[in-house]
Amino acid sequence: MRVHQATGVAGPYDAVSEQAAAYRRLLEDWGMAGGVHASLVAPGAPAGIELLDRLDAAPDDLVLIHYAGYVPGMAPLLDLPQRKLLLYHNVTPARYFWRVEPRVALTCELGRAHLPSWIAAARATAAVSSYNARELRSLGAADPRVVPILFDPERVRAPRGRPQEPDGDGRGVHAGGGKAQRGGGAGAEPEGAPLVLSVGRLAPHKRPDLVIRAFALLQRHLEPDARLLCVGPPVNPDYERRLEQLVVEVGARQVRLAGGLAQPELNAALAEASVFLSLSEHEGFCVPLLEALAAEVPTVARPSGGMPEVGADAVLWSEDSDPAVIADVTEDPDLAVVAELVQLAIRDAELRAELVRRGRRRVAHFSPQRVASELRSAVELALA
Amino acid sequence: MRPEEALGAARNAAAARRAGGAYADDPALRPATVDEAISPVGVTPELLREWALIAVEPGALYSTRRLGAPVTLLKRGLVRLLGQYLAQLEARQTRFNVALLARIEGIDARVGQLGARLEQLERDRS
Repeated sequence: MRVHQATGVAGPYDAVSEQAAAYRRLLEDWGMAGGVHASLVAPGAPAGIELLDRLDAAPDDLVLIHYAGYVPGMAPLLDLPQRKLLLYHNVTPARYFWRVEPRVALTCELGRAHLPSWIAAARATAAVSSYNARELRSLGAADPRVVPILFDPERVRAPRGRPQEPDGDGRGVHAGGGKAQRGGGAGAEPEGAPLVLSVGRLAPHKRPDLVIRAFALLQRHLEPDARLLCVGPPVNPDYERRLEQLVVEVGARQVRLAGGLAQPELNAALAEASVFLSLSEHEGFCVPLLEALAAEVPTVARPSGGMPEVGADAVLWSEDSDPAVIADVTEDPDLAVVAELVQLAIRDAELRAELVRRGRRRVAHFSPQRVASELRSAVELALA
Repeated sequence: MRPEEALGAARNAAAARRAGGAYADDPALRPATVDEAISPVGVTPELLREWALIAVEPGALYSTRRLGAPVTLLKRGLVRLLGQYLAQLEARQTRFNVALLARIEGIDARVGQLGARLEQLERDRS
């Protein structure tokens, strides 16, 4: 018996593709590894992902479907006779994209509309967070399991105080101006110009516009030398241009929209960062938040979607929230308060040290061993 | 400071700074000209009209390859050579978009009128 994996689109900087590759390593250890397949394999996708039409499953095999949106080429999976395990990574509500990228909005809309059919076709369902599992349950899934993102903290740990140099392809990680190093151990106050790091696709639901505005306030009123580095590919070039225009309009300096970065460059950015900032409005899980905690970067974030259950008490939340209560945020945060929080996270050594200490606990909570056990349990449920 | 105290401290600090005149009329808190274009809200009729007008933008043609400059030049040259054909395509597509939009706006207006009339009839009946 083998476990094959299928997803819609595989590409670089893609959490789902990386999960599929990580699952394959686990499944190999368990002697269950099948192929990893995608309807579309983009250049730069993790190695070994094949096209969906090469999926060759035996009758008693299991097909693990990573669901993150509507992709027409995935439809034949619904008719496969094999047992299926649906793993839901979340689909962003379409409303965020109609104005900026209608094609993406349509795939999000269809992704959500078709989700009940996938739930009905699966023998068992799972989601990467309780927030996502709640959504599955509301659509009729009987007992969705929670299988968090399989995350290896070692991949983001660069030597402290010695940021790796960026590759020589012009995509350096420095946000311009003076170079800061955290140095002096975890939680130490940064030396030189503080670097605010934000990681996530430049897309409307991630609210990079709020990050830019909050940073402008921080720079103008609290930390004149601060720099902002936004890492993540834009949803389209026009959206990126508009954000660049916003940077100019709000009078921010030392801002860099770096696009997607390879892991060594991201690690260098994390090693250099004074604080991690996310004001995202919709997140199914938020891998960058976990990466920041693993890299021991104090974090400020908005308690949206699955983020509170990832960061819990190790994050400075921009609004009052009980991490046990998962709620959708609806109103923009007070950006002056966000700027003040970011400054506290940069300058208060005791606070930084405590956040780092708690961050280690959160990372331990998502240990690969625990997640592997949850995955194994979900696979066994689907096979039962 | 403990993390649990940080939000309260940040709120107090922001309030104190506001009382001292900071943050007031800050450009970061004012509406920006790009807000409409990046805002995560729905599509307005005005935006639909903007989208209906199709035009080839040679500036949007580029190459992301390492040595992309000659490729970009080639692409833009091709668009220039095909200008007459592309202008016809643009005109046809725009004509269709605008006609469709006008039709939808007409239906929208008619539905609005019928809705108002229905409400009036229901009020008269009661």
